[in-house]
Amino acid sequence: MIKTIDLVKVFRTDEVETTALNKVNITVDKGEFVAIMGPSGCGKSTLLNILGLLDTPSGGEYVFNGTEVAKFKEKQRTDLRKGNIGFVFQSFNLIDELTVYENVELPLLYLKVSAADRRKKVTDVLERMKISHRKKHFPQQLSGGQQQRVAIARAVVTRPQLILADEPTGNLDSANGEEVMNLLTELNNEGTTIIMVTHSPSDADKAHRIVQLFDGHIVTENIRQIL
Amino acid sequence: MKEICIPIPYLNDNDIAEVEVVVAGKKIKYDFRVESFPWEVENEFSTLADPLERSLARIYKLKSAIEGYSKEWELIQIFNPSENADHIHVLYRKKLKT
Repeated sequence: MIKTIDLVKVFRTDEVETTALNKVNITVDKGEFVAIMGPSGCGKSTLLNILGLLDTPSGGEYVFNGTEVAKFKEKQRTDLRKGNIGFVFQSFNLIDELTVYENVELPLLYLKVSAADRRKKVTDVLERMKISHRKKHFPQQLSGGQQQRVAIARAVVTRPQLILADEPTGNLDSANGEEVMNLLTELNNEGTTIIMVTHSPSDADKAHRIVQLFDGHIVTENIRQIL
Repeated sequence: MKEICIPIPYLNDNDIAEVEVVVAGKKIKYDFRVESFPWEVENEFSTLADPLERSLARIYKLKSAIEGYSKEWELIQIFNPSENADHIHVLYRKKLKT
């Protein structure tokens, strides 16, 4: 599903050049659950942003579902993202001015899904995430755990093949964190591919494979023993 | 897996923290070890003035250390080295016998 070949990302300012990713080679098969770990500043989020087509690499190749996408223009990247990739962020990234229902409905509006279909899909996913009783509330009226459940609902409402999660439990207490991890595991068991950046060894334990990044390089990949 | 946080004193090189938990009457023993790998490359590669080259040399060194480590242990976490550190800390957990 995903393959990168010698992926490079360099950030440049007038004075400094920082190599965030240096010849990263990673392959992720359909249906896999991969955790990316490593200390702060090692390039985890940069890699996730490129894999999610939110950013472009400075060099190397990125093959998504058999298509080389590294040099895709913004419009092409947006089109490919829509419906194919769902995002879950540490800080939820919900739109404060929209209700829970409207936040989850938004990706379907971009995909021009009919009103009746939208209503059914949003209702179903809110039920599933056990948040339907809050559908008329605004994000600021919810707890962190509830906001992340809404964010996951928004990520999965289009039934994407790939979910990218950047520290999904980073802002949550352990009980809500575990609930979010259970939801991600459940989605993976149903066939959704998941790539998750995390600092948490116990969250990483849920993945099939753990990739350790350091200073923009993959240092090691291992299959964690299930405890 | 549920998490229990247990504060432990700093480990010295080769010290092992043994943790024993009893879940529903079943005893499980975990061994954790913080390994300290050499991180300084100045002496071996004295010509590496370029920070990128130095970083590559360090990564190569770290990768070799991890690859050569006992397979009875699995890598859990690589810690961020402090500035000018000459060692980097890596957390391992002993694989349970299945």
